Formats: sequence, structure tokens, C-alpha cells
Amino acid sequence: MIGRTAAFLRAWRQLGIVAAKEAVDALRDRRTLQMIFFVSVIQAPLILFLLSTLAAQRESHIERREVYVQGIGYAPELRNHLLREAYRIRTPPPDFEARLRANSFDDAVIVVAPDFHARLLAGEVPEVDVLANSNSRGSATARGVARALLEGFIRERTLLQLASDGVPAEFLRPVDVEEYDLASQGSRAAQLTGAFIPLYVLLALLAGAMNAAMDTTAGERERASLEPLMMNPAPPWAIALGKWVAVAGLGLCVALLTSLSYLPAQMLLRSESLQAVFQFGWPEVLRFTLICVPFAAAVAALMMATSIRGRSVKEAQAGNSLVMTLVLLLPLVSVFNDAAEPAWYLWVPSLAQQTLMMRVLKGEPLDAAHWLIPGLMCGIIGVLCLAYVSRALRTHAVK
Amino acid sequence: MIEIEHVARRFPEARRRGWIEAVRDVSLVAPDGRITGLLGANGAGKTTTLRMLAGLIAPDRGSLRVDGIDVGQRRRDALGRLGVLADARGLYPRLTMRENIVYFGRLHGLSIDAAQARALALAELLDVRSLLERRCEGFSQGERVKTALARCLVHDPANIVLDEPTNGLDVLATRALRDTLRHLRSPAGGGKCILFSTHIMQEVERLCDRVYVIAAGRDVAAGSPPELIAAAAAQDFEEAFVRLAFPAAGA
Repeated sequence: MIGRTAAFLRAWRQLGIVAAKEAVDALRDRRTLQMIFFVSVIQAPLILFLLSTLAAQRESHIERREVYVQGIGYAPELRNHLLREAYRIRTPPPDFEARLRANSFDDAVIVVAPDFHARLLAGEVPEVDVLANSNSRGSATARGVARALLEGFIRERTLLQLASDGVPAEFLRPVDVEEYDLASQGSRAAQLTGAFIPLYVLLALLAGAMNAAMDTTAGERERASLEPLMMNPAPPWAIALGKWVAVAGLGLCVALLTSLSYLPAQMLLRSESLQAVFQFGWPEVLRFTLICVPFAAAVAALMMATSIRGRSVKEAQAGNSLVMTLVLLLPLVSVFNDAAEPAWYLWVPSLAQQTLMMRVLKGEPLDAAHWLIPGLMCGIIGVLCLAYVSRALRTHAVK
Repeated sequence: MIEIEHVARRFPEARRRGWIEAVRDVSLVAPDGRITGLLGANGAGKTTTLRMLAGLIAPDRGSLRVDGIDVGQRRRDALGRLGVLADARGLYPRLTMRENIVYFGRLHGLSIDAAQARALALAELLDVRSLLERRCEGFSQGERVKTALARCLVHDPANIVLDEPTNGLDVLATRALRDTLRHLRSPAGGGKCILFSTHIMQEVERLCDRVYVIAAGRDVAAGSPPELIAAAAAQDFEEAFVRLAFPAAGA
């Protein structure tokens, strides 16, 4: 009994030695370091910055209070209305139509016909065109602004006409409509940032774990170091677990770094509305990391199980590309679903983590099922894959 | 002491069309304080036999013991008394020579201090002190073999198994390795049991106290080099090997 306990404790020490060696080895790998730096320190904040720039552009279109009108001289009534709405009327460039088509003019243009004033006075319906390019977000936003202004002008003209005929204003507005947005501040932020924040955390985790997973398994086979390693008195399960601890730990660290990178990245947000609603602080970083722990464990084991079959890192890459594609494809299910998330999401690893992280971003609570179900599923995958790796390490040690 | 008794091992052929008999029946005894050679042509079954000894492959039949410990039953205990320089001697290129050696020492249960001290002592023994803090990427073949040898000796095993250790070494490195093995065999070097597999006659003749000739997965002859020459009624050791290993070709 004492001998068995001593052997077990020795195996745990050996596990720690393998984990420490693999961590040092991975951190000296230039590919891994580049991946960590690019994915977690650069890429995610950059995407957040670009997204906020897009939102800021949209806001600036609305806040600029400018409207492009071609032939405003033909419509003095419209001109007065726009000025009363505190809009600055600008003349579009002569080739605005061609530029709109070419997507080089990021706005919309109201085109007034020369007979506008005469037809309006005659009680006819003059035509006004709004030219925009729906391919351009700025142009689409400006089209909305132009349409709202024109609707306002039409309403004003109708009101004046009916008032002069003695019809009370309440007849024209028999129902008073008030809109309330019941979405929480967090949900609105999540709408703006979309699913990309959780997706990038998952991507960072995968990218951080992949090189290490391949190097500790297929890499050992490729450089012929697996055979001498397996001739050590450490049990295969301790070697497999030690490698797995390093791989999962590395993936988790990169995911944590990515989450942390969103903290300073908030200062780069250019959109005021996004700044107001996007609150990503230390509690969110902590929850994101806890959500990622079982996922990192499962993904590390899965990638190692895929890689150990490869005789070289190149062979392992093919298998792991499939794993990455599958893992990143699953969260898209929730991206295309506007309704409340179904319960089965929690049973699918990666989709579950995406769902939970979205809940964190929306400020929604996480109950026991939210932690236990994904943890259980990741645990099952992890144990099965590690059992396979442990067996395969010895069988594949011999070429 | 290493004892191998009637081991056999076969592998399935590609697409499982049949079986390859890698080792049919090999028995040998390698005593302490002696260098025992395992001499055979390529594919004779030497490496498979040594892999069974290292517990990487289980034999289909027979038994292997290291200092009386059965490899099949107490693999980890047996491996603790064994230092194996395998045919595959890959190093970790991003680790220094010292880190490569210390890693294996730690896995064999040495403390950090003990493993560091052994790494230094072995680097001096193998005359590679200047390489100790260098990362292994870019090492020459000789430097790689010396690192791998230090790695397998780090826990000061009583039994040393070397599979074709001079492969890829130049003349000077080969001579230095021979001197190291003679030292390890001597009482000053610990009187180790050294089991040495090769297909190079010159090495066996100069180094081994006793030689087992392996052919087609069987041990076909055993004795010291002069005994084998006499048994084969040959002029030299090479001729003796050919007559013993390939009777049809040598006749």
C-alpha cells in the first residue's frame, strides 16, 4: 500500500516535471510567441477598434446634421423645413451619382426636380428622389436620415394644409405612440459588438493551444524524442497529463490575455454610444476565464489526440485545422439565432462557451446548470482524449 | 545484469496481409563490469530486442530481466536501473544541453541539484563542458550523440544499453566514445553492465568482452571475438561473423 502511494506521488511529481518542461519549451517557440502576440495583444483590440470606428461613423452621420440636396433652389419650402430642423444643406459633387455607384461617396443625396415648387403650389404631387448606395453603411445611414427629414416635411405640409381647412391636429394623430427599449445596457452593447468578442477569446484559446499540442505529440515523433522519453520510468498517463496541463494552461493563458486586452482596448473606442454601453471590466475577465477553463481542458486533449496520430507537425496540422474549423463553426449557430438560446446549446462545447460569454456581456446571471453542463461535456471529451493520448504515446513511440 | 530468455516478437505486415517475424528466439546474458555486444546485420532483430528490454514493446513470448527485475511485470523499476541510448535519439532543440540532461534526470527521480551536478559531471566526462548552456538546435551529429548519451547516463544506471551508438560519428568522436565505455565498464567507472548493439565489426572486436551474433531474429552464436573466430574457423572476425550469421553465404 505504501509502495503504491509512493509510486503514485512520484508519478504526480513526474507529471509536474513534464508540464514545466513543456511550458518552457512552448514559450521558447517563436511560432507560439508570435501567435500569442498577434491574436491576443493585437488582433482582438484592433477588431474592437475597427468595430467602434464603424459605429462612430454611423453616429457622426446622424450628429453632423448635414444633408446633401441637388436642386434645393427649386424647393424653397423644403429648404425652410430643413433649416428649421437645424440641418445644414450641402450641394453634392457634380458626379455624385457615379461616385455613389463607385462607393466613393459615403452619403445620400436628395434630388429635387425643377418643377417641384410649381407642382406643389398647384396641389399636385412633385417627385423627390433619394439616391444612396446600400453597399455603403454610411450611405445607408444617410439615406435613413434623408427619408426621415422628407417624411417630416410631408407631415408638416399635410398638417398645415388640414389646419388651414379647420381640421384639429389631434385628428391627424389619433394614437400617441411611445417606444421603450427593454433591452439591458449590456444587451445593447452585445448587439453592437456582436458575437465577435467571445469568438475571439475562443479563437485565441485554440490558437494558443494548437502549436503546443502539436509540438508535444507529433513534434516529439518528428524529432524522434518520443522513444527516449517513453523509456523513462514515468507512467504514460503522467507524461500525457503533464503535456496536457502545459497545453491547456497555455491556451487558457492566451484566452486570458485576450480578455485582458479588451480592458485597455476600451479606451480606443471611438463610438460614444458603444463607450456608454460596453462595460468590460475585471468581473467580466474573471467570468470569461472561468468559462474557458473546461473548454481549454477539452480542446487541449482533443488537439493532442488529433496530433499524436501525425508522424510530423505538418501531418498534425491537417487534423487540427479540421478541429479548429469545427470548433469555430459551432458558435455561429447562436449568431444566427435572435431568439432566446435553447437549452441544448449548453450541451455543445464551444457553442456553450459562446452562449455563456454572451450572457456575461449582456449582464445576465449564470446559474448552476450554466457551469455544470458545459463542464461535464468538456470533462467527458477531455478524459476520453487523454486516455487515448496516454495509450498512443507508447504505441507511437516506436516508428 | 541483463538477462533475456527466448524472446520473440512479430508485427503485422502493412494492410495486415501477414506477419513479420522481427525476433524469433533470442537469449542472452550481459553481466556487470562487461561490455556485451549484439552483432547483426540490418534487420536482424537487434533494435526490436532492445526495445523489448526498454519496455516499449511487449514480447509475444519469453522474458527480460534487469538486475533480476522482470521488465514485463515491473517495467518502471526495471527502467530505473537501465540507461538506454535508443536508435531514436532526438533532443529538444529549444532546450540547452543541460536542460535536456536535467529533464531526464528529474524524470528518473533525481532532485534538481543532483540532476544539475550529474549533468556537469557527464559533460566533463564526455568533454562537452562548453556546450552545456547552448541550445541543442544546430548541434553536430557527434554533439547530439554525446548529449543523448549523457541523458541516458544521468541517473547513473547500473545497466547501459546502447543501440548503434557510433552511427554518424567521426573517427575522433568514435574513439572518445569507446574510451568512455571502457571507463564505465571499469571499477572506477562503476563496473557497469553495458549491452552494445552494432553492425560494425571493428567496434565489436575492439570493445566487447562477449558477443552475441544475431541473424534472422535468432542468436546464432556467442563468445568473445577470438572464440568466435576459432568457432567459425575463420581468418578474421568479419569472416567469422559472415560464416556464423549467414552459413550459406560463408560456405
